[in-house]
Amino acid sequence: MRFCLLLAGVTAFAQQLNFVACPVVRDTKTVPCFLAEYEGELYYLGIQQDITSDFHPPQLKHEVLVEGTVAAGPRVCGGIPLKPLSISVIKEVNLACNTLLPAEPGIEAPPAARGAGPATHPLDISSAKPKELTGPQEFTILYSFNDDFLEYAGNRVVNEAIDYAKRTGASSVKVTGYRESTVLSNGTRLVEKDAIAEKRAENIAALLRGSGVSGVSISSKDEPESGPAARRVAVVVTP
Amino acid sequence: MHRLFVFLGIAVTLSAQYQGLKSTWVEPSSNIVLPASDTFDNSNGTVGIINAAGPVNTEGHPFFVPLGTNGRACVNCHQPTYAMSLSAASMVERWITTGGKDPVFAAFDGSNCPNLPQDQKSSHSLLLNRGLFRIPLPWPPKNSDGSPKPVEFKIEVVRDPTGCNTSAEYGLRSSEPTISVYRRPRPAANLKYVMSGAQAIVLKTGMPADVDPETGKPVPMNLMSDAREPTLKTQAVSAIMGHEQAGGAPTQKQLDKIVEFESQVYAAQIAHIWAGPLELPGGPGTLGPAALRDRRAGVLGDNEYDPVFGRFDNWRKGSDYYRASVARGADIFMFRQFWIRDTAHINSIGLGNPVKRTCATCHNAQTTGQDLSAGWVDVGTTNFPTWTEPSTWAESSELPVFKITCSAKADPHPYLGRVIYTTDPGRALISGRCVDVGSIVMQQLRGLAARPPYFVNGSAKTLREVVDYYDRRFDMKLSDAEKEDLVNFLGAL
Ligand code: HEC
Ligand code: HEC
Repeated sequence: MRFCLLLAGVTAFAQQLNFVACPVVRDTKTVPCFLAEYEGELYYLGIQQDITSDFHPPQLKHEVLVEGTVAAGPRVCGGIPLKPLSISVIKEVNLACNTLLPAEPGIEAPPAARGAGPATHPLDISSAKPKELTGPQEFTILYSFNDDFLEYAGNRVVNEAIDYAKRTGASSVKVTGYRESTVLSNGTRLVEKDAIAEKRAENIAALLRGSGVSGVSISSKDEPESGPAARRVAVVVTP
Repeated sequence: MHRLFVFLGIAVTLSAQYQGLKSTWVEPSSNIVLPASDTFDNSNGTVGIINAAGPVNTEGHPFFVPLGTNGRACVNCHQPTYAMSLSAASMVERWITTGGKDPVFAAFDGSNCPNLPQDQKSSHSLLLNRGLFRIPLPWPPKNSDGSPKPVEFKIEVVRDPTGCNTSAEYGLRSSEPTISVYRRPRPAANLKYVMSGAQAIVLKTGMPADVDPETGKPVPMNLMSDAREPTLKTQAVSAIMGHEQAGGAPTQKQLDKIVEFESQVYAAQIAHIWAGPLELPGGPGTLGPAALRDRRAGVLGDNEYDPVFGRFDNWRKGSDYYRASVARGADIFMFRQFWIRDTAHINSIGLGNPVKRTCATCHNAQTTGQDLSAGWVDVGTTNFPTWTEPSTWAESSELPVFKITCSAKADPHPYLGRVIYTTDPGRALISGRCVDVGSIVMQQLRGLAARPPYFVNGSAKTLREVVDYYDRRFDMKLSDAEKEDLVNFLGAL
């Protein structure tokens, strides 16, 4: 279902946009903004932050897969905001993705938790305090498209799962890998590579076992699911 | 004290600054006692060495006596005068003083290849010109049980100026296929910093860290240019079996004694040639070896409240020209923003490409400026086209050049793709992964003035050449004054 929103002077559709394009980097007085152009329109993806941030920017020399919903509100850094938004760096090198725009008066990045210099306050790099969990728990680790690299956020979730399994002396730890199939706005279907669900699950199982968690079993679902949330590993810890 | 002072009256090819400099060389089995603290002059001033556990009697000490067959001890390549490393100039000096007979020139790795005529200077050109030792590594790499590791790429030798990589006896096609790369010795001092910061999951790979074979605990993976050695103990065993060509394994007691020595020796510049002592009160509190002994290891310094090398406020304000310059250099290191781009394991791990940051983003560990997480990064020094070698490499490189072709199934190198030319694949020779080609583990940035040349391949003859490399690589647009400040700062560490 689609909603039409009438905004002051701007008409926007709460429209799902899935596309692959070169990212565009725009410098500002503070941190750079990351944008992407699709069908003549510029979309705002996010700003440079830190490894601990939820948004990991795209990369020049690579295309980016954007899966987002056009959001209401003014342009950010010259681009239309997308929310929710998932981006994935396409692994193959593409030298054509090389646009770095200079800072322009009047175009500012949103406030950044961390500027372009050294940090101004301590980073939260310790894993979160163990929550008061009981009973079987599912921990979800998310990935970029076609990628089995465990990003910082996933690293933290794995540590939570390890802590929980160890604290409860878990009797079983089930690790299941999944993969995504997505349809781009131009109709093209993209499916993650065959072995990726299994590879993700194997990597996470190796981390759990390496940390002394026992009773780890692995499976993977090769039938792809739709949407960025499908790119995941689920770890079910049963005390 | 039985120290031998060698006065250099020779100009050789050294710059005018070196002339008349006093140098000291600790011979293996010289049975001297190293004092609890000592100083040695270099072109920039003086390097200070502290033995935190007190004077070291070197008699029979396994760091100081040869344990193998070629007459070498650890100290041959890790000398106090050179901040527990070596300078290339010291090798020229040794060649002249000993007529090329010093065990440091041993055929095995102190020459370009063991099969070359050893009495000729040209056979040791990489050691004499760049301070490089040959590091022979098996290809494919092996698991700890000796089985071959799965690898993601094919490696070919496309240029072989030393002859070693194509040699039927020592090369890639020999009965024990071997890749020879040529690397600088890393300082065997301040090691509590190198050995801290272990995390169970490596930030750069998302995979489990290597573990200490004795305790099963994760290790920081910051040892050696490619993190191939998990602990100081395994490192010492390899050095004894390799560099010292021992016939059998060392004893536990010898290993303990080596690690004990290494873990208490600190090295850093202690005085500047014009500005005098660097440790006086009111300074940043990070300079000189005593600060290294006293400060805490494993602390992140890429921040404004407790920066990598402390605060230089008093020096910035003061009237001393050199100190003010060092303070400005420290500011450049911490605060001068530039576009860090196309560096595997920095831009590719979630920071984005490019990232507008500073030197301290990579050199982020307090007091030594290493990387607090496992420190391998492809900053570009060994991979074409950003490498330190002339771009007309086919004619003029002194280093071997390898062509790496990555399997279509593997993730490509994030900025160079699936075909890469490199003088040293770095971490990839150990991991077998394409994304690691050219990634080198950051060295500690201490005692730099005592141990030129710089970078893993000894390509930067001076700190100015290091700074010039960064200026080109990241288009930093540093002014001459900024370069001078940065050089003065690095020289004070
Ligand atoms: C022939 C010269 C030579 C000898 C002899 C030698 N080393 Fe080294 N050492 C090197 C080189 C070269 C490296 C760097 C290797 C690399 O990065 O791959 C190194 C690296 C090291 C490091 C790593 C420091 C760091 O920060 O990564 C330590 C520690 C060390 N050596 C200790 C020793 C000990 C202990 C001995 C004696 C058992 C020894 N070395 C003998 C040349 C030598
Ligand atoms: C993208 C990460 C990165 C950034 C940014 C960076 N470095 Fe480095 N640095 C490295 C790596 C990796 C090495 C090891 C490379 C080698 O030895 O070939 C290194 C090596 C060095 C060395 C050589 C040390 C030695 O013992 O030979 C110096 C000096 C140095 N860097 C200074 C700086 C300065 C000054 C800046 C800022 C202008 C800077 N670095 C910015 C990653 C970085």
